[in-house]
Amino acid sequence: MDFRITINRKKLAQTTTDFLTSFLTVIRNYFLLIIFPYKTVRKISFSDDRNQLLIIFGLIFLYFKFIYYLRGKPYPATLLFFIFIINFTVTISFFYWLSKSSNKILFSSFVFTFSYSLLPTLTWFFASSLLYILLPPPRTISLLGRGFSIFFFAFSLSLLAWKLILVYLSLRFSTRLGIYRIIYMIFLYMLWFIPCTVFLYHFKLFRVPFI
Amino acid sequence: MRTINLRLKKKLDEIYVIEPNNLGARFLNDIYKRINIYFKTAPFIVIVPLSFIIAILIYLVFGFLLVRLVSILQYGF
Repeated sequence: MDFRITINRKKLAQTTTDFLTSFLTVIRNYFLLIIFPYKTVRKISFSDDRNQLLIIFGLIFLYFKFIYYLRGKPYPATLLFFIFIINFTVTISFFYWLSKSSNKILFSSFVFTFSYSLLPTLTWFFASSLLYILLPPPRTISLLGRGFSIFFFAFSLSLLAWKLILVYLSLRFSTRLGIYRIIYMIFLYMLWFIPCTVFLYHFKLFRVPFI
Repeated sequence: MRTINLRLKKKLDEIYVIEPNNLGARFLNDIYKRINIYFKTAPFIVIVPLSFIIAILIYLVFGFLLVRLVSILQYGF
């Protein structure tokens, strides 16, 4: 019997090229989301390249692997990633379900735009963990300590603002609803998300929610 | 020519995929449009200085509490 594995080189080359293209697209979109958030989120809402999702979620998984050693190994990275995936799925399903009554909305649009809105979160978490290594807390009241505190707080605020812009635009282009309905939806979301965050904090799964 | 028309149509469909926001009053719409411009393109030009101003103001008001908050945030990842 012949057990040799036959590799379709052409298909392999095509898959590799597609994946690299998607990787470059993710990097390009990351910078475009900084410069042109409105146009970029609008473009992303029409996207259908699943490799991009794979890359974003792959980066998030790598981050969880990275902090596994940093946090003193309280929970395995796979468990944290699994909980994050559940949280993410419930979030987008909630917004999709709320806006389902309006016509011409696509679930894929929610998935793509919300996945890209995870990039500020990933940036903040990655930067925080790096700063944790370089400048471990607690901060002191020395001049440098106070200066760093102001810098870190401003940095966190900036990324939070970027995150809020991306979430708002994601909802705007995915639901195609007006600002009042979006604010109302976010309010309803907070009603269950805040207790959920407290629950995750209580079990030391996430101190700051990864969403 | 037909390709250009199709591209233009696709682009226009993309641009007009959502209706403009209506806040119910003309002055509210005007304010929204004025603020919105800063967040549509290069929002960090506004966000970064504003964040630093807010951070400095919080430090001036609450003092050491900001330092403690940052310590907590640094454990937050």
